[in-house]
Amino acid sequence: MTEQSPFANDRDQSLGVELRAALDTADTDAFIGRLKTAVANAGAETSWDVLAAWAPRGLVAAVAAAGLIWLIDLPSAPQAPTALMASAPIQIEVAPSLPEAVVITVAVMEGR
Amino acid sequence: MPSVLQTGVEVVRTPQRPPQDERTSQVEDSELARLAATGDGDAFGILVERYGAPARRVARAILGMDEDADDAVQDGFIAAWRGIARYDPTRPFRPWLTRIVANAALDLGRKRKVRHTVAIPEHAASGTIRPDRATDHSLFRERLRLALEELPERQRIAVALFDAEGYSHAEVAEVLKVPEGTVRSYVFHARRALRRALGAFKEDAP
Repeated sequence: MTEQSPFANDRDQSLGVELRAALDTADTDAFIGRLKTAVANAGAETSWDVLAAWAPRGLVAAVAAAGLIWLIDLPSAPQAPTALMASAPIQIEVAPSLPEAVVITVAVMEGR
Repeated sequence: MPSVLQTGVEVVRTPQRPPQDERTSQVEDSELARLAATGDGDAFGILVERYGAPARRVARAILGMDEDADDAVQDGFIAAWRGIARYDPTRPFRPWLTRIVANAALDLGRKRKVRHTVAIPEHAASGTIRPDRATDHSLFRERLRLALEELPERQRIAVALFDAEGYSHAEVAEVLKVPEGTVRSYVFHARRALRRALGAFKEDAP
């Protein structure tokens, strides 16, 4: 017996026959019958079945998301709507005119 | 090319399953898959008849001679039936199906941590007593099953698909999602391990 090269493309026919025989049993036909029945009972899955399977989870997720959004939004919700008040123009208080002459004279005479 | 099994044991050919009805055997897999995708259960039934037995052997190569292997085949075929619309008819059907079944078997193996063990008959394990020819072959096959179970998982799958089921290296690579060179390596090492494990039969043979 010589070693086969790992690069060989040939199939080992004898090994194949023996492997098939080793892995087969006499009840193959009965197994195929059971398999066909199981597949027939399982039925094909349509896209609606997939959606239906997801629906309860999707519904729960949607409710949870809505609740989360409501909670996040809660602090701002009770505030009463307020009118936008126009801010008063800032005015710098500056005397519109110079003090009168008598006020200046009295101040000088009194040494203030 | 010398065989791994040139061990002196006469190879007994097992009877093949009777050929399928001519009408169904001429229909291409891709056409049956296309019909199945439209909800034609009979078309998928033909595919079950065509590939049920090979799929079972692949599952058994992964999980051992266990009922789990049958469960895995069933899970795989049901998954294939439900997902038949995702099959690309321009690609070969057989590797697509086998990958689904093999994945089902691997998943089941991981879930149940199945490690099938078979008690080795003393006379078969010792290699010192040569049984008569009537039992010789069943012992040889038992030894082969045990040797197969001892292989790493991917080597088992590769040698079963390549040598037993007639897949090409490329198809095995597609099933295992590894490069072709890796498949060649798996097959080479698997054969070498099997050759070693079955060596006692050569020594015993007349």
